[in-house]
Amino acid sequence: MKKLFLSAGLIVGMASGANAATCSNPVQITWSTIAGFYTDAMANFVKDFEVKNCAKVTVVNIDNSQLYNKQVIEMVGQTGAYDVVTLETAEKAEFAQNGFIKPMTQFFKDKQGLVNDVAPILRGMTVEYKGDIWGLPYYTYTAGMFVRQDLLDDAGEKQAFKAKYGYDLGQPQTWEQHRDIAKFFTRKTGEKLKGEPLKKDFFGVGLMAGPFPEIQDELSAPLWGMGSDWLTKNGKVPVDDVEKVLGQYVELLKYAPKAALTVTYDGVMNQMKDGQIAMTHGFFLDQWPNAVKTEEMVPGAKMSAIEAPGKRAYVGGFLLAVSSSSANPEMAMKFVAHIGGKDIQRQFAELGGASTLTSVLSDPYFSSPAMRSKTGQYATLNKVFQSMNGFSSNLFKTPFGAKIYNSMQIPLQAAAAGQISVRQAAERLAADVEKICGGPCPIAD
Amino acid sequence: MQSQSNSALMRTSSAGMSDRWFSIALIAPAMAVTLIFALLPLAYALDVSFRFADLSRGKLGDYLGLDNYRTVFADADFWSASWVTMKFTIVAVGLQMSLGVGIAFLLHGAQFAKGITRSLLILPLATSAAVTGLFWRYLYDTQFGVLNFVLGAIGLPEPNWLGDYTIALWSVALFDVWQWTPFVALIALAGLQALPKEPFEAAELDGASQWRILTKLTFPLLKPVLFLVLVLRTIDCVRLYDAVAVLTRGGPGTSTETMTFYLYRTGLKLFRMDYASTMAVFFLYVMLVAAVFALTPLLKQFTDRAKES
Repeated sequence: MKKLFLSAGLIVGMASGANAATCSNPVQITWSTIAGFYTDAMANFVKDFEVKNCAKVTVVNIDNSQLYNKQVIEMVGQTGAYDVVTLETAEKAEFAQNGFIKPMTQFFKDKQGLVNDVAPILRGMTVEYKGDIWGLPYYTYTAGMFVRQDLLDDAGEKQAFKAKYGYDLGQPQTWEQHRDIAKFFTRKTGEKLKGEPLKKDFFGVGLMAGPFPEIQDELSAPLWGMGSDWLTKNGKVPVDDVEKVLGQYVELLKYAPKAALTVTYDGVMNQMKDGQIAMTHGFFLDQWPNAVKTEEMVPGAKMSAIEAPGKRAYVGGFLLAVSSSSANPEMAMKFVAHIGGKDIQRQFAELGGASTLTSVLSDPYFSSPAMRSKTGQYATLNKVFQSMNGFSSNLFKTPFGAKIYNSMQIPLQAAAAGQISVRQAAERLAADVEKICGGPCPIAD
Repeated sequence: MQSQSNSALMRTSSAGMSDRWFSIALIAPAMAVTLIFALLPLAYALDVSFRFADLSRGKLGDYLGLDNYRTVFADADFWSASWVTMKFTIVAVGLQMSLGVGIAFLLHGAQFAKGITRSLLILPLATSAAVTGLFWRYLYDTQFGVLNFVLGAIGLPEPNWLGDYTIALWSVALFDVWQWTPFVALIALAGLQALPKEPFEAAELDGASQWRILTKLTFPLLKPVLFLVLVLRTIDCVRLYDAVAVLTRGGPGTSTETMTFYLYRTGLKLFRMDYASTMAVFFLYVMLVAAVFALTPLLKQFTDRAKES
């Protein structure tokens, strides 16, 4: 009996010793990423990876406004501080072109199914550049629009709208309809909304015209919708087109809370949940779990996530890529595949994250009533991706995209605030872009 | 002979080091820190200002002579940011000085709660602008902010503090005044308390009016302290960054974009380190010249006093 115990103890000891030997020296990798929900949710899945791969992942949370600067500095210095970096859509070309990140085409050669599972439009915008694959997106903030469906469905409002505009009130299909609806629902305290007198001013639309890049995300929707782009194929800003959409946007500001000039997406969500606005402009669909809370906070409210008018809107995703100066690129690539892979993306979706994989987005489970509060926007997100299939923006094909993206809000917001005219803003944007690129911006095929 | 040997003893330390070398040894660590953290980066910035340096493209480029200086001086945004900085500095420092000195006089004459008021005055200074700026951003919020709530409750207009380009700069200035007026007040109060009593007693015996005492005695005696505070506050306001970064990010448009914020944007958003370094060098030059002009009379005054005493 004593021998049996001793043998058993020896076997257990050897087994645990062997296990310790396999992971006594875990491979260290560091992931620089955005502080907030995206990372908090992902942190749970890092553990899985560490155990399976004998790795130690250090997650560095950086405020979104500083992430780009910090990453560029580390990449230029080739410090190896970050193995895996997180890139905004407009930053991919710059990082790839300047050799800051490693191509992963070879790595994904036997994982083509995973790459093909990334929504095609998202793949084109965030993953591919000059024929190579540069990582996997793990989160998408692609835009659609949020509307107060209860207002659009109200019989009294429908009747009044038809009498005023001559067509039926419903989800806006064009930007002209969007403007009409915004104007129609803008009301003062004491006026009636759905037959009830308002206790505070109500506005037709919430806008993100603050000093943040989100203003250009909003404007991308009508600009792309009219068949234009931020950069022509010759690498120049189409001044007349920008002037047109910016002019319409400035007009729309009349129907938005005046806080529009200081807020970004969280401010608009607060306006929605506070019962101040009827709808958004082109807006990040990943905010659905936030937007749907309006139903709890505003009596009688019913929210819908829909495609933006013209079926074009900002396509964005956080790309995970591997730094060229990584000391452990293979482990870093495995990590990218792990976080962007189907298992983790499913678990991420369970928590309310906006997945990038078609197989997850189209899974009926995530569009079921039980999951409405977390992933109720998935069906719409799928529609957006389908509608935009084949579309591409030159902003994401120029290695100067990140710099342009980081400075274009200045003239746009100046016009929104009335500091300069719409024409001046469009011309200034063109001049700024030319200055950044040192002439017409190069556009990759 | 005895006194000579005493003085020789004074000039050498116990280890045989002369006073001169001992004093050099004492300041050497501070000089080393200054050299490493101030002078070397400055020399590097000066070097970069004459070269092509787009950081996002990697290494430093070729020397371009004075091209970067020409580009920066021809840049309308640079001059616009300089103008914003100047407006801000004049208004903020003006208000801080007048309010601070006023508060100091009130406190100097106060009979009770002097200690607690002094302690409370330190509070705005005790936290960084990045933190208090966040509080102020919420105070200024047009929808949920306390300021507009109060103004609305008493029937006054509710301004868009940070979203209206005509007033956003003054909203930032108001925040800066709130934070730094106590500094001026505390220094001025210390200056007031350190003034000699005799001239005031003599003036009172001579029947001088309060106004005459104030203009002919108090302010002239307080001038060196006030001048020093003025110089410190001016330098601080000219390099304003944190309040702008937290409250407005230079917006709406460019209405609150100060020199330092523009420099940050050029250097760390566009990664044009060449232009950013050029601006920084020019900025430093202007500040140095201004500081030398401003401080020379003050230093002369201090030196004269030291000689007299």
